[in-house]
Amino acid sequence: MATGLAAAAARRLLPRNRWVHLLRGSHLSSSAATADGLDGGEGGSGRVKIFDRDLKRRHRDRAAWVMRDTDALADAVADNLLDRLEDCRKAFPSALFLGGSAGAVRRLLRGRGGIEKLIMMDMSADMVKKWKEMENSADDNLEMHFVVGDEEFLPIRESSQDMIISCLGLHWTNDLPGAMIQCRLALKPDGLFLAAILGGETLKELRIACTIAQMEREGGISPRMSPLAQVRDAGNLLTRAGFTLPGIDVDRYTVKYNSAMELIEHLRAMGETNALFQRNPILKKDTALATAAIYQSMFGLEDGTIPATFQVIYMTGWKEHPSQQKAKRRGSATVSFDDLQKQFGSNQN
Amino acid sequence: MMRRTAALLLRQGGSGGGDGIPQALADVLVCPLSKKPLRYCEASGSLVSDAVGVSFPIVDGIPCLVPKDGYTRDVCEQTQDALAAYFQSRPS
Repeated sequence: MATGLAAAAARRLLPRNRWVHLLRGSHLSSSAATADGLDGGEGGSGRVKIFDRDLKRRHRDRAAWVMRDTDALADAVADNLLDRLEDCRKAFPSALFLGGSAGAVRRLLRGRGGIEKLIMMDMSADMVKKWKEMENSADDNLEMHFVVGDEEFLPIRESSQDMIISCLGLHWTNDLPGAMIQCRLALKPDGLFLAAILGGETLKELRIACTIAQMEREGGISPRMSPLAQVRDAGNLLTRAGFTLPGIDVDRYTVKYNSAMELIEHLRAMGETNALFQRNPILKKDTALATAAIYQSMFGLEDGTIPATFQVIYMTGWKEHPSQQKAKRRGSATVSFDDLQKQFGSNQN
Repeated sequence: MMRRTAALLLRQGGSGGGDGIPQALADVLVCPLSKKPLRYCEASGSLVSDAVGVSFPIVDGIPCLVPKDGYTRDVCEQTQDALAAYFQSRPS
């Protein structure tokens, strides 16, 4: 309700302006902001557009310039994702890495999954170029290809990949089920889909601090966080996209920063700043400073640092294949439960 | 549009277009909109989707298959024709 009002207020007061690159609150989450089907997109395609993909592309360009060589959070998520490959006996000769922290996944791959041919795709050309430069220092002999492409419009042939990994990228797609269906189509039968997305608990401290600061300084709030998937939605997403043997698990990381400004710098370096269509393009300096102060006073720890929560949802799904285990058809049983009880129930007595 | 025209000019200016993409990659890529096969156009150094009449540029050997990066074939061809006519008519 509150977010709906805020969205309405933002729409009335603040014309959309996509060229302002001020310090924006960052990527805060509010799950109901799009419930009323706001059509923020251009072109009137009829689909709900929540995220400004063009802006996200520029964010990722910027992230490619400012990102550090290693990022502890991205590395932890990428390593956790790759760890799953060690549990599979299957090898995945052809693989596709999508968006987000695919650079970290590539760096930490270390021969896992038996990949021979790898395609890396992102929608930011600068990010792809950076990955390509990084590749020169890699020592394993993979056949590497690079593509600039959009996850929402996956340019990959049907049934051509053994595995698709998306590390922290899919939460910026407007049509997450659609993107996942395209991934499934691109997979070969018995192909593996592995994804990590940020969940709804992410950056809850910043969301609270931002809301309070805006209420206090501006007398109203505007959406500064993107709506993120909840854990319970993730299972439905996988099933809806048609993956078999779906698996979901959740991990929560708490990162400590010296100040809220440092947190925003980190979000920028990851390309995770606010890209909502309904966002407020202006962030006043005193609101920003008030947010930092409120963050510090509400959540600050004794040692002067501030914690930030990142909830990561890991999704595993397979493309259908006759060799996979599945439940028997209803009514196909040949033994009655009564007989079973007679047989085994009497032994217990 | 300016950038694209400049890119076209560069190609016409003797760079000979992009150097294509590896066959292994070309086998896997399809048009992001129609999911139909792409054709490599040597003249413009781009990947052409005949199904929707859009051509996608290849920059530094990296194909750009974001729908917004593509431009409709008509404009591309017209520009090329105009440039070719200009270079032919220019006394060298």
